[in-house]
Amino acid sequence: MSILLSPALLTVVFPVCAHAYIGPGAGFAFLGSFFVFFLAFFFAFLALLSWPVRYVLRLRRTKRGLRKDAWIKKTIVIGFDGMEPLLVERFMEQGHLPHFTRLRVEGTYRRLESTLPPLSPVAWSSFQTGVGPGKHSIFDFLHRNPRNYLGELSSAQIQSSKRALRFGRFQLPLGKPTIRSLRKSKPFWNLLGENGISSMILRVPITFPPEPFNGISLSAMCVPDLRGTQGTFSYYTTSTQTEGRKTGGHVIPLETRNGNIQTWITGPMHPFRNEETPLRVPLRIELSDHSVQLQINGASYGLHPGKYSPWVPVVFRAGPLKIRGIVRFYLRRVTPSMDLYMTPVNIDPANPSLPISHPNTFSVYLAKKFGPYATLGLAEDTWALNEGVLDDQSFLEQCYTIHREREKMFWDAMEHLRKGLMVCVFDITDRTQHMFWRYEDKRHPGYRPDAPKAFKDLFQQVYQRADQFIGQVLERIDSDTLLIVMSDHGFRSFRRCFNVNTWLHQNGYLALQPSAEPGEWFSGVDWSNTKAFSVGLAGIYINQKGREQEGIVTPGEEKERVKGEIIAKLTGLIDPETGDPAILDVIDTGAAYQGPYKDNAQDLIIGYNEGYRTAWESATGRVTSQVFYDNTKRWSGDHCLAPDKVPGVFFSNFMFPSNNPRIVDIAPTILTAFGMEPPAYMDGKALSADGVSQNTRSQRLSMGREYQD
Amino acid sequence: MAKIKIDKELMKKIKRYTKIAGYSSEEEFVIHTLEKQIAQLEETDSEEEVKKKLQGLGYIS
Repeated sequence: MSILLSPALLTVVFPVCAHAYIGPGAGFAFLGSFFVFFLAFFFAFLALLSWPVRYVLRLRRTKRGLRKDAWIKKTIVIGFDGMEPLLVERFMEQGHLPHFTRLRVEGTYRRLESTLPPLSPVAWSSFQTGVGPGKHSIFDFLHRNPRNYLGELSSAQIQSSKRALRFGRFQLPLGKPTIRSLRKSKPFWNLLGENGISSMILRVPITFPPEPFNGISLSAMCVPDLRGTQGTFSYYTTSTQTEGRKTGGHVIPLETRNGNIQTWITGPMHPFRNEETPLRVPLRIELSDHSVQLQINGASYGLHPGKYSPWVPVVFRAGPLKIRGIVRFYLRRVTPSMDLYMTPVNIDPANPSLPISHPNTFSVYLAKKFGPYATLGLAEDTWALNEGVLDDQSFLEQCYTIHREREKMFWDAMEHLRKGLMVCVFDITDRTQHMFWRYEDKRHPGYRPDAPKAFKDLFQQVYQRADQFIGQVLERIDSDTLLIVMSDHGFRSFRRCFNVNTWLHQNGYLALQPSAEPGEWFSGVDWSNTKAFSVGLAGIYINQKGREQEGIVTPGEEKERVKGEIIAKLTGLIDPETGDPAILDVIDTGAAYQGPYKDNAQDLIIGYNEGYRTAWESATGRVTSQVFYDNTKRWSGDHCLAPDKVPGVFFSNFMFPSNNPRIVDIAPTILTAFGMEPPAYMDGKALSADGVSQNTRSQRLSMGREYQD
Repeated sequence: MAKIKIDKELMKKIKRYTKIAGYSSEEEFVIHTLEKQIAQLEETDSEEEVKKKLQGLGYIS
């Protein structure tokens, strides 16, 4: 694929400086800049020289390209995370989505069954593997570690090297951090690649760390920031009114001296210091009446209120080592106080200190071609909006900037797509619906009847933009291209919180130590008398003996009895304040899941009614005083509900008659389209397409050049 | 990646149980089996490290 040559050449011309791996905590392996340049040049030359030999070897090793019973040459999958069927259907009805409508009329539109539970890490894992959670082992955003009950990211594990040579305050790490994907099974594009069909995989959730395969990929959800978190913003302010702690970020109180402020940008932990000392870069802020001038690493950036800076490079130094990040600033105001927001420090794609693409040079290629771009997994800073550090407009602007970056990547990949697979996921639908459902739902505690029309019509605008994009894609595809436009789940209003751990406590399943103040991560919990607890968004774990560190419930009869009791009590549970059923059903995963990893799952999954979700505090193991309470955060839409409440969407230019497509069916469908037999372990079944069979290519419906608006 | 030798009889069993259990490959089966054992021995993150890694995840506070 020509796109693979470009990164190699660009690496030779623009060498990567000091490639280093980071993690939360110290741990580095590094090469000097000159050595990297030399190696890059040497290996590029070797690659060019040996290409004919490798080509022949590859031909012998892999089955070649498209099979004779393939009915397409190319497949393009466009994911709009969280695109909601009710909204799509409403907007199509109103005539706002002409291109989605044509797909529905001349191809396919169906609601797409999501996963249990319908969360992005779970659903996208099922999309890419064609298996259910019992076989890919992703059941939530978080899972609990049974040895200490603490939550962990379910999809990737980054561990710094514990081995180091230590002398006094300093250390020399031995070895580099390990980064492991926790998603099991195999993405279907790996299977395509084993058969000589290459793929381009752009920002599909749960592709971090990137895996080697026949193609290129850019990682997405759960790529950390340079500090090793899921996104820590900084808020620099001279206001004395702002409290010090913000969820998802840090407030840095500042003092002005002679119209200037001297402060710091905090980065990863110092790799060569024994104690936990972060690397810092000086940030100088020069104030004038209506603007500020930022000085970082010898460069100067002017900023006016209400404006974002472009991506600004930040270089952290630890001895000879340079660790590069990028940030954007948003100046809220200069007077009466200077309030300056800074995004989390994203990994610099032009000089990644963690692998975020396959090959490593692909992220560099994109950065050299289009400039810096967001690399953080959940790049849109929802906590900054939740905490009032950003306002609605500035958050929305951030979403659109990231969306435009993604569109450029998509069109670039499209230009290089001669045959094979391309998948690209756009997040704007998910992020805007999470944060702005309060403008859609009159019953939401955050609803404002006087909200600007731009926000009341926001979802229509976002969906219309998606529709225009699809129209442009349709103009460019040919009759040999299968187009699928899909979402992983839908959306509903999130009006009311349900604290699962509080309910468990009040119903005798979770015990607290006497006089203890319950805190985060089950602080104050008496495990010796606790039968059940909840971590994450979806469900409940039984405190099982022999499985959990301090488990007390015997597997077998006792466990089944406890599960049965909880199911009976929670199913149909009424919210006393609203009179609505909060919980429609509770699913026993022992029966629901199949596969070698099913024992990693929560024991019970809660099927919430629309309007409800696990409480913020409950997800991190805190017992509060109330079971039900209003969700007053700006994060006002969600999808952690009963799956049949939040199906996704499935559009295609081909006709698929199946009435009930599932997200798990897409992988085998695409394999079949390329003439391959889906493997027996896949839970999904290939959807049969109308008018498609061996030797009937001419009969295929096409939306390509025949399409007329 | 390191290579490990496995005798033919054991490999036959691995192939059979890979299919039955629903793994995508024999490699995945072997890795999972080893991971289960190692998980009991590995050090766990401290609460501080856990909080840091999860900070900023939009779905939770």
